Amino acid sequence: MRKFILTLIILLFSISIFAHGPTPQKVQESVTVNVAPAKAWSVIKDFSEFKKIMKTRSFDDEIMKIKYELLKADVPFSDYNAYIIVKKGANDNESVIQWTARFYRVYKLNPPIPEGQDDATAVAAVKNIVGPGLANLKKALESK
Amino acid sequence: MITRNKKFILIVLISFLLALIYFYSNYYKVNPKAYITNQGDNTVSVVNLNTLEVIKTIEVGIAPLGITILNKKNLGFIGNVGTDDISVIDTRTDQIIKTIKLNTAPLSLTSSPDESKVYVTDWFKNNILVISVKKMKVIDSFKVGKTPSGIIFNEKYNYLIVTNRDSNSVEVYNKNNKLVKKLATGKHPFGVYTKDKYFYTANVYDDTVTVIDLENWSTKVIKVGAHPYNILTHNNFGFVTNTVDDSLSIIDLKINEEIKRINTGETPENLDLHLELNILVVTNWGSDSISVYDLKNLNLIKEIKTGAQSRSFGDFILQ
Repeated sequence: MRKFILTLIILLFSISIFAHGPTPQKVQESVTVNVAPAKAWSVIKDFSEFKKIMKTRSFDDEIMKIKYELLKADVPFSDYNAYIIVKKGANDNESVIQWTARFYRVYKLNPPIPEGQDDATAVAAVKNIVGPGLANLKKALESK
Repeated sequence: MITRNKKFILIVLISFLLALIYFYSNYYKVNPKAYITNQGDNTVSVVNLNTLEVIKTIEVGIAPLGITILNKKNLGFIGNVGTDDISVIDTRTDQIIKTIKLNTAPLSLTSSPDESKVYVTDWFKNNILVISVKKMKVIDSFKVGKTPSGIIFNEKYNYLIVTNRDSNSVEVYNKNNKLVKKLATGKHPFGVYTKDKYFYTANVYDDTVTVIDLENWSTKVIKVGAHPYNILTHNNFGFVTNTVDDSLSIIDLKINEEIKRINTGETPENLDLHLELNILVVTNWGSDSISVYDLKNLNLIKEIKTGAQSRSFGDFILQ
């Protein structure tokens, strides 16, 4: 759990600007956890750290979805908007947590694109956050 | 005997001809359709708006985004920002009949009212490219302000209207491609729409819509949801996609105020109408789908899955 929060905090220090070059990128991953959806949701939404440092865009208890703008630091992507949703799993004690991120590469002007500021780099960087983030969240939820 | 035979042959021939006419008229009978550009998987989903089903998926260039439909000519122009070209689709057969190379990223497209020209915003080099529909190639281009985004043609004044996202302004050009007026908008104007003597810009950064009167250039600002992307109007109402709120703002144009908000899919970006069917269609980038609403009561009729990252920036419905 701590690692998960830490990952988030690291990402949150800076200013996010929502803009739009030609192609926004999308990373969508989910993880199945052996915890009831209501419990998973209560843990996710009650991160006080979460609320303090990120700009929560919307918060929906009914469909168990949190939408936020990530305030990015020195990372190889920009204009990050994301949401996390908790859905029912195969049984009552199982939930599926889905994380979807929308963002752009750093360089938005006319090609040639400088190294490390292209779409592939941005996608790889976000995948590197979302994947481990979900894995840590699963660990934290199941050990509770 | 001979006359009877001739008569018989004649009847057969006429029947055959009638069958042929029937076949072709049905074959080319155009259904109301929506063309959805899926930027995530380089395709266009063709949605039959009568049955509300995807009937075909067309492979286009890389990262298709902008679109304009030429109803009279049965053509669809799709801008591929990844391959710097335009795929032209015959909407009777839903096949690509031409690829127009541009060597720059086409962001958005619109046609002249007579459908003889298609205008394309060249995002990177700050130009408007003019394509001859007859010749299927670029015949002219002219410089505009920074990061030309949305583009639309006003029929009443014969004006071409372009939003300049990074300079928080909108430019109005006459039919000779000369600048008539440059006006300030809200922050980061993206989508633009026009009807009669008004036009509207969706200003992403400050969550507003700017309404501009082409008669006297007066402007008004309307507060909407978070990060509005595009707008259109119908009768006395305006509809605005709020990308971060996953909603649609409904504006009463008599008082220029938001009066209602309805839910959409994830990250709604663009929208278009089919007037005869009385429906409004919204593309949801985040949910890879479109939402179809009844214009009478704004009830959701159906959400339809498309390809990945559906956008359709422009007019995308074949009337």
